[in-house]
Amino acid sequence: MTLLSVENLSIRFGTPDGDVHAVNDVSFDIAAGETVALVGESGSGKSQIALSILGLLAPNARTSGRIMYGGRDLLSLKRRELNKVRAKEIAMIFQDPMSSLNPYMTIERQLNESLELHEGLRGAAARKRVLEVLDAVQIPDARNRLRAYPHEFSGGMRQRIVIAMALLCNPKLILADEPTTALDVTVQAQIMRLLDDIRRDMGTAILLITHDLGVVAGSCENTLVLYSGKVMEHAPTRALFAEPQHPYTRGLLRAVPNIHDEAGALHAIPGQPPNTMRALTGCPFAPRCVDAIAACHQIVPPLEGDALRQRACIRPVEELT
Amino acid sequence: MLQYTFRRTLAVLPTIICLIVICFFLMRLAPGGPFTSERPLPPAIMANVLERYGLDQPLHVQLWTYLKNIFFHFDFGPSFSQRDRDVNDIIAAGFPVTLTYGFWSAVFVLALGIPLGIIAALRQNSLWDYIMTGFAIFSQIFPNFVLAPLMVLTFTLAWGLLPGGGWNGGQWEYVIMPAVALGTSYLANVARITRSSLLEVLGAPYIRTARAKGLAERTILWRHALKPTLLPVISYMSPVFVYMITGSVFIDVFFSTGGIGQSFIDAAYTRDYSVILGLAILYSVLTFVLNLGVDLAYAAIDPKVRSGLK
Amino acid sequence: MTNPQTPEQTPDNPEHHPRTMFGARRQHEAAELAAAEEMIVSRSFWADARRRFVKNRMAMIGCFFVVLIFLFAAFGGVFAQYNIEEIDWSLLGKVETEGGPNLTNGHWFGVDELGRDLYARVVQGTRVSLLVGFVAGITSVMIGSIFGAIAGYYGGRTDQFIMAAYNITLSIPYIIFFVVWQAFFGRSVTQMVLVMILINWTAGLLITRGQVMTLKNREFVDAARMLGLSDLKIIARHILPNMLWVIVIYTSITIPDAIMMESLVSFLGVGIQEPQTSWGALISEGASTMTYGTLWQLMFPALFFAVNQISLYYIGDGLRDALDPKER
Repeated sequence: MTLLSVENLSIRFGTPDGDVHAVNDVSFDIAAGETVALVGESGSGKSQIALSILGLLAPNARTSGRIMYGGRDLLSLKRRELNKVRAKEIAMIFQDPMSSLNPYMTIERQLNESLELHEGLRGAAARKRVLEVLDAVQIPDARNRLRAYPHEFSGGMRQRIVIAMALLCNPKLILADEPTTALDVTVQAQIMRLLDDIRRDMGTAILLITHDLGVVAGSCENTLVLYSGKVMEHAPTRALFAEPQHPYTRGLLRAVPNIHDEAGALHAIPGQPPNTMRALTGCPFAPRCVDAIAACHQIVPPLEGDALRQRACIRPVEELT
Repeated sequence: MLQYTFRRTLAVLPTIICLIVICFFLMRLAPGGPFTSERPLPPAIMANVLERYGLDQPLHVQLWTYLKNIFFHFDFGPSFSQRDRDVNDIIAAGFPVTLTYGFWSAVFVLALGIPLGIIAALRQNSLWDYIMTGFAIFSQIFPNFVLAPLMVLTFTLAWGLLPGGGWNGGQWEYVIMPAVALGTSYLANVARITRSSLLEVLGAPYIRTARAKGLAERTILWRHALKPTLLPVISYMSPVFVYMITGSVFIDVFFSTGGIGQSFIDAAYTRDYSVILGLAILYSVLTFVLNLGVDLAYAAIDPKVRSGLK
Repeated sequence: MTNPQTPEQTPDNPEHHPRTMFGARRQHEAAELAAAEEMIVSRSFWADARRRFVKNRMAMIGCFFVVLIFLFAAFGGVFAQYNIEEIDWSLLGKVETEGGPNLTNGHWFGVDELGRDLYARVVQGTRVSLLVGFVAGITSVMIGSIFGAIAGYYGGRTDQFIMAAYNITLSIPYIIFFVVWQAFFGRSVTQMVLVMILINWTAGLLITRGQVMTLKNREFVDAARMLGLSDLKIIARHILPNMLWVIVIYTSITIPDAIMMESLVSFLGVGIQEPQTSWGALISEGASTMTYGTLWQLMFPALFFAVNQISLYYIGDGLRDALDPKER
């Protein structure tokens, strides 16, 4: 059953120097209880997609397309209506746990305010629920740390609090924007396991946004590879890793450090991400693509394929190196 | 918190003693003094006068007596130029006056400046915002000593609304112009700082987190944004208080309020060293107390600073 | 995941200047090269800044007025029909009615309460205010940046000591300095400048300190240190040029501040002494007589003061916009 459906989403930012085309014609679905990964380099527009779902884009952003949830288009909802969806239906986990918690409020206040708003819970009832969730994200000695401020917790603990915050109202979908980037590797694994448990135990769908393919491999059913605001490839994660069909995906997979690789060489993709100040006139990856032919620079490749997997490349899979 | 206050007070004592010692020697060693006039006093009378004020003692004895009197008897000694008055009398008469309009001036600056800044930030680039910016530039250029005459010109001479000076026991008509003239420059700056601070806070990730919770914008402003917005304003008050003390000297002189500033300037003219020294100490202590207040207010808002104080 | 830049492309990669068998010689060349690159960067930086500044209309108008005021201070005296102390006995006692600005009797700006020519006095006041403001302002920032550079470069105890002095200076209301100093040493223009430097020695200190703290850890300073350059040479050749813009901005802020300070204390009568005068002293005289209706005595000096301050404000604003990388 489709929970959320992003249809032809484009996002532009108006700047004094012209429009930035951050997201170009992106479509995908998330089913209830499913985990979908959005993968791309920084600046590929992946975070903007998540922000647009909850209407949290910067004021200079303009959107087109639709984001359907529960029969309504989230992009056209009024702030008042949107506020009822936020946290209650769709919650978000932000990238940096250091700065996404308010340093001037106790964590209890930051947690119970959404309960107060969406569930009408106050006082002891709210505290009970807060403790429940803090236990669920494995914060030790939570009862005695309710009155503590964010700076009194470690980075990993803070990210757990941020996750707890997202879980409070039992949302149907959690948008996790690079939930582990700011953390140590060991803590990263713990947090990913936590998210996995949450999905299994509570049936929450997760949109995982990351630049780290390693994170995706273990935990997501479907993966979208984004480049310059455009979907390059969309496939079941296993299949994507086994046989990537887009040159960009191949480049990405080759760039992941592999301890089995004897030479230990890192295969970086040469060149720079393209300038998003111009509308697309060809494949955005063409300038860096080893397989590019002349046509790649002139035709914006459509996303084609079957229901299971699609890719945006005009060259047949067999011909690719 | 109490312990912190105590520690700070102990830490500032050396500074104040240093100030006293330097000023003390400066004034004893300086050429001339309150008793040097065009017509020199006969030696006998001079000796008499010197003895009366204890100036015949060796310097270190004088200094010791002076410090002892201040710290144990809270006595700043007699005025050299005003025969029957002690420095304590001068302070008792003038300090409440300066403190009164100074207090109202601070209230004026904060109670008006912060809301004005918030409005300007929420209506960024509106006409209101531009008016605020213009006002801020205006106040940079018209400091209190230009503003005060202009105000007297308008409100007293042209419209006859407010008295152009005097104190009259601190009736409100007499307090308004000193308080406003003293505060206006800082009001504009407080508004400007509040504006940019709020704009920065509203762009902070934790405000986005608050929005993602579905909170109304008004709730976000009061519950999440206000405290961090106030922090730069509070730190700014530290230099402002120092400037306002200097400004109060001008206000006392210009509006003839009878505050201590007038005595301070008069003392500079008559080289009344004990008054200069006494008031300089008073001003320094006042600065210290206000700064301490600023730091405590900051700690009250910022939990990180608060835990640092312990 | 991918790093879009291959390692070879990173310009500040240490591998760029490999330590080879040729040893110090090679290193030296590399450092020279790096220094040359810095210079090129900074040259285009200043050219860019100048272009941006010239394009700033308010700043250019400000410059225009400041130049006018300077010309007035320098050559205005030529047109004065009286000197600053001369009392026009013919106007004494009827200043309110006949002492106003007048083209026929040569009192272009009228006369003051004592019948002295206000034009000559405004020229004199402008000279003193500008002199005190610019000399004290520029010197203060120079001293402040030197101390800031020392504190930032050496850190440790030196830094603690300088910062303690900084905090103490800032926590004493400056009027105390003026009253105490002037009561003991008198009130000449030189004394005035000295006290103002004494009070303002902290100008720009904090910002240069922070700037040096970040600069001293940059590669080109490390390179210079490895070459055995002395601290003084490193500061003068590598650090100072890279924070010149901070100093320029701060100077442009400090000068109007100094003029303001001078005017306030002269207004209070603990500044410049008669027959010398300054904007503040003139405004004070004008303000004390405005009840008699002799408004020109307040308006002329106030106008000069205000135009000068507005102009300097916009020049400072323009410099900040042109030079501060954060503002762009």
